[in-house]
Amino acid sequence: MSRHPHTTDEHGFDFMANTGREEQDRDCLGILFALAVMACVTVSQYLGLL
Amino acid sequence: MNTNSMAINYDLNRKSWFSSLYGLREVLPGLLAMFFIAIFSNNLAGVPNPFTLENLFAWLDGVIGPLHHQSFFQIMNSNFVWNPLLLGLILGNVFGVPDCWKRGLSYIHMLMPLGIIMLAPHFMVGHAFKLGAAPILICTAFLFLTATVTLWVSRLLRLDDRHGSIIAGGLATGDPHACAILMPLIKAKGGQVVHATACVIVFGLIAMQLLPVLGEWVGIPPKYLGLASVVGVGNGSQALYAAFGGGYEAGRWATWFDVGRHVIMPAGFLYVFIVMFVRKLRRRNDPEVLATRGVKTFPVWLGVFVFLWVLACLHVFKEPAHHAVFAMVKWDFSLAAAALGLSLSFREIAGHGFKGFAVTCIAGLIRIALLLAAILVCVKTGLLPA
Repeated sequence: MSRHPHTTDEHGFDFMANTGREEQDRDCLGILFALAVMACVTVSQYLGLL
Repeated sequence: MNTNSMAINYDLNRKSWFSSLYGLREVLPGLLAMFFIAIFSNNLAGVPNPFTLENLFAWLDGVIGPLHHQSFFQIMNSNFVWNPLLLGLILGNVFGVPDCWKRGLSYIHMLMPLGIIMLAPHFMVGHAFKLGAAPILICTAFLFLTATVTLWVSRLLRLDDRHGSIIAGGLATGDPHACAILMPLIKAKGGQVVHATACVIVFGLIAMQLLPVLGEWVGIPPKYLGLASVVGVGNGSQALYAAFGGGYEAGRWATWFDVGRHVIMPAGFLYVFIVMFVRKLRRRNDPEVLATRGVKTFPVWLGVFVFLWVLACLHVFKEPAHHAVFAMVKWDFSLAAAALGLSLSFREIAGHGFKGFAVTCIAGLIRIALLLAAILVCVKTGLLPA
């Protein structure tokens, strides 16, 4: 299998590959951080901090 | 070691969701690369750096002067996504991407859902109610029609369905951002996304010259030439260029009507994703069906986006919160676009050839013809009052 010089490192890790359990974990963290940021900003607004 | 064995390794060593963040020492170089590309590309909240690509383009816009009341680099769709993408692309192709950056650059896959979810407060449907029923209906009908026609033309020309889907999203919503938003949903290649974006922007350059001429030829009043520009050209400044090309009044009306296209944008990329996802479910064993391949169920984060979009429509996020969240979106997409730019070679983008552009042009021209006919009929029948 050919190695993509821009995305694959010497150990075979391809940073553009996103599958399986790893993909699910990244999605969960994305949701978690997004909700945290939005909740924080919205609550700040309702408390008159923005 | 190939990608499959890396996935097995991950599963064996995984402890929690946070395992996908890896160790700080592993990811720091890649994160710093994304950070520096982002802050030298865009004027980001909290960073007082004047030496950005955004400021360079703004200065050049001042030198070039306005074109039909629009800045040249705005017409070329320079924004917080394409500036870091361009810088990443140049750096990656000139200097290469060191191996030590690659763990950190994988954060792009977390940043994409994060940024898309945070985009939800940006689309408040209530903002478009001032336009009246007929213009909203025209914007909505042509969004779905353009997406459907583009998917049909891409199938007719046997274009890779992932590439066709990305073009459909960008063309239908009238915003090349949608191409990047569709990337994780369609499971498109980075090269396809950048190529599709270029197709949508270049077709926009053609459409913005063509539409005012055709509009005047068929006798569209200036007010509705503004609506035709917004729906038929899209892409922000390109639509305004087309409208101002037809006269000052048409240009002013385009700024009024643009909100109608903007607020329903999520419906465009959701529609393209759902169509391609259902198609994949129906033709699981068809090797030609590649779009959404690897997406097993409706993505949870997309459900969260839809939920927050509903909250936005109910005005839960008011103006200051909306602006603060959007500043975070700019940070997020700047970092993600830097990683996307670094991942691509020029050859990969150019390798997608001319077929994608042909699909964009055919679908875009069909949209303009049908749109002008629809607006003309509405004006003649009084549905759109003069």
